[in-house]
Amino acid sequence: MKLFSARSLSRERRKSPAAPMLAMAMLFFFTAFLLLALKDFSWQAVGMALAVPAIMLLGVTGLPKLFHADKLLLSLVNFLCALGVLVLYRLNAQKGMTQALYYLLGVGAMLFCILLVRYMRAWKWMTVLLCAASLALLALPLVFREKTNDAYNWVTLAGVRFQPSEVVKLALLLALAFLLANRKYILAILFAGACLALLMLQQDLGTALIYYGTTLFMLFAATGSLLLVGLGLAGGAGAAYFGYTRFRHVQKRVAIWQNPWNDPQGAGYQIVQSLIAMANGGLWGVGLGVGNATVIPEYDTDFIFAVILNEFGVVFGLVVLLIYLAIVIRGVGVALRARNRFDALLAIGCTALLALQTFVIIGGNIKLIPLTGVTLPFISRGGTSLISSLCLVGLLQGVASRNDDAIKKDKALAELAREELS
Amino acid sequence: MKQIRKRLRLLLMVMASMFALLVAYAVYSLNMYDTRWFTSGSNTFVRTVKKNVVPGDIFDRNHVLLATSSDGERVYQDDLAARSAVVHVLGDNLSHVSYGVETFMAKYLYGFDASYIERLSAALRGETRRGDDVFLTIDSRLSTLIARAFPTGKAGAVAVMNYQTGEVLSIQSFPTFDPQSITSAVKNDPQKPFFNRAIQGLYAPGSTFKIVTAACALQNLPDAQTLTLLCDGQLQVDGHVITDAGTTKEDLEAGSVSGHGELTLQSAFVKSCNNSFARLALALGDAQLKKTAEGFGFGDNFLFRDIVLQNSAYPGGARSAFELAWTGAGQSALLSSPLHMLLVASAVANDGVMMEPRILQSAQSAGGTVRASFAQKEYKRALSSETADILKTYMRGVVTSGTGTAAGVSGVRVCGKTGSAQLDTQEDTNAWFVGFIDDESAPYAACVVVENAGGGGAVAAPIAKTIFTYLANQGK
Repeated sequence: MKLFSARSLSRERRKSPAAPMLAMAMLFFFTAFLLLALKDFSWQAVGMALAVPAIMLLGVTGLPKLFHADKLLLSLVNFLCALGVLVLYRLNAQKGMTQALYYLLGVGAMLFCILLVRYMRAWKWMTVLLCAASLALLALPLVFREKTNDAYNWVTLAGVRFQPSEVVKLALLLALAFLLANRKYILAILFAGACLALLMLQQDLGTALIYYGTTLFMLFAATGSLLLVGLGLAGGAGAAYFGYTRFRHVQKRVAIWQNPWNDPQGAGYQIVQSLIAMANGGLWGVGLGVGNATVIPEYDTDFIFAVILNEFGVVFGLVVLLIYLAIVIRGVGVALRARNRFDALLAIGCTALLALQTFVIIGGNIKLIPLTGVTLPFISRGGTSLISSLCLVGLLQGVASRNDDAIKKDKALAELAREELS
Repeated sequence: MKQIRKRLRLLLMVMASMFALLVAYAVYSLNMYDTRWFTSGSNTFVRTVKKNVVPGDIFDRNHVLLATSSDGERVYQDDLAARSAVVHVLGDNLSHVSYGVETFMAKYLYGFDASYIERLSAALRGETRRGDDVFLTIDSRLSTLIARAFPTGKAGAVAVMNYQTGEVLSIQSFPTFDPQSITSAVKNDPQKPFFNRAIQGLYAPGSTFKIVTAACALQNLPDAQTLTLLCDGQLQVDGHVITDAGTTKEDLEAGSVSGHGELTLQSAFVKSCNNSFARLALALGDAQLKKTAEGFGFGDNFLFRDIVLQNSAYPGGARSAFELAWTGAGQSALLSSPLHMLLVASAVANDGVMMEPRILQSAQSAGGTVRASFAQKEYKRALSSETADILKTYMRGVVTSGTGTAAGVSGVRVCGKTGSAQLDTQEDTNAWFVGFIDDESAPYAACVVVENAGGGGAVAAPIAKTIFTYLANQGK
């Protein structure tokens, strides 16, 4: 500690724990892709072995050169994104390449979000716009009625197929943060309620659950009112009960969750195969490239965690969970250092959303809770999901950089005061 | 802002505990169930690996070779009767039979637990890896004997175990099939020969459940041993009638039902009087009877180390007096597997302690290293040893002078309980017998079920006699 204490006076030059971690991660992906290259004798995989660590290096060390960003947070997120590319590449080279492209796009989008939080001032008009756009976007799938796995949550606009709820996530966070920061609680609740109702109509229960949880978290952070949270919980329980009694597909999900082994070849097939894939993996996994988790339907989106456990083992799976936890802790840290209500609420909102989404899908994979089809942030295949997750990190980073500006300003003021005194 | 920071820390704790829950549940469920998931018939991965490894041999308790490999084919005993008698214990490598040794112990047989060094050295030497040999507690000779004694053409199950150690000597389901020629006739047989009725079949236990009702009465009614039960053969409950096995509607209408008259608990047990046990159940109440049944393992999630046993069920929810009355006599939504009823009898025999059943003696590598062996283990105490002693005398009475005389072996202290469980879907009753030899030198218990065959005393008890005769003479 003595070694660093002298240098830690200047915050910028302090040695970050991210550096050795980054080196390890780069080595990990380099060897992993080389292994895949050996398996299929593919030059493309060799290219990936060089490209993926390079993108990581760029993402983690390049971005903070432009302006302050939390390096540790960046390296953790980059590790998960690269892991997603790796796993998808192993499952299907084409999917891996596409994911890598989205990863690059996502880093760009993240940058945009950092700038947005840093320099945006007209939040009032922005919020009005965001609310209107959100509701319109969430209503779109109900108009077009394009069904995907029991839910109407996708739309195709101008040839681009995307999930409006993934985009609206960001708008929800920004709008709620603004409304709650300005103590417009009723408006905030009305807006969140409208979004939730539209999601319920889309029959996208997983996303509804995540929106609901995030709203509750932000509401508590802003008001600290146990009454409001209690009412929110009661409302959620009521909605859940209503949904369970009204909708057949909800009952089906719950029944499968209670005992998937009743019908291992039919209704329970997905969960059963997920559990089997984990059991096959054991502690250390069957090895990259030799698992057979592709038997799980939706292996590359909803069940990517099961695939990871299958090939890399339980120990690695727990490490992945810990990485998510580390991101959450770091995110709350950003919120704690925030200088105003808006920043703090935005940061906790982003963090809570990531935590809830991770919990909902991994909990579904391991049969802790009924399965609802949402993606695993940063890892699952899917452009909208990956880009929106990276945007969330961008918003978080934006707050972090504002915190840093404020700290610098404080320091400058303190310096000035000292000079004047002497 | 200070307020907000306080709340943020609280929210962090909430999120951290969500992650802790994920980790805890993942570790718990993988630890408890991974073997069951791994060996399930739906696991396609095991099938792929199986192609690259020569499976180890399977032996019975007397080191009789039950299964071996030759030229990539699985070969079983030469004698057709012998190999089909143990077919449900062994299972088959195509997983037609669920949780047979071939699948459930694939970990050993296919060397999934071999170290990386062993795998690597086999790969370097260019050898096909060979899995470990598995030694079972099963007695192949006894199994063949039982198969021969079982009524031809009937479906059912038999299970035999050592009630002091938990070693299972036989798990058999009928009809059997020949593992070496699985024809489409076998696959399409409506009697479902692949189904292992001994561990997966759930039946109404019928009068064998009276062991549980009697135990409940002995433990909860202070005057249980002296009280008088009056039986007129047609107990009225809620406007319905409880009758004894064999009584038909015509008998009731003709008024020719006489009943057993005045009985004690012991004589009611020995004569298997439905009337008296219905009365007892009503006197005890649903909660008390349920508690005793749960003590015997009803409603338990059986997670034995090397046997997968279907869970038994004591009916839940609010129930009418009529339903409760029938439950006391072993009917009405009660469900239990033959192996579980064997455990019930074993607990009585073993002074109230239920041993965990097990079939794996050891798994050994080709070099003779023991890779796995399970020590005997108490599963639970089902009843007090005093109650067990009283029940033993009751069950002895069943064999000396009651419904189960056909199970008696001269010179051997055989105890037991018969059952004839009625099913609405079936013409005849399911014949049951559970019992044991009350002797330290031959501590064995057996359970026999013959579906749609008639009374337990007439059909099931003679098979138990064959089993006990063999086991009593084994040491001599």
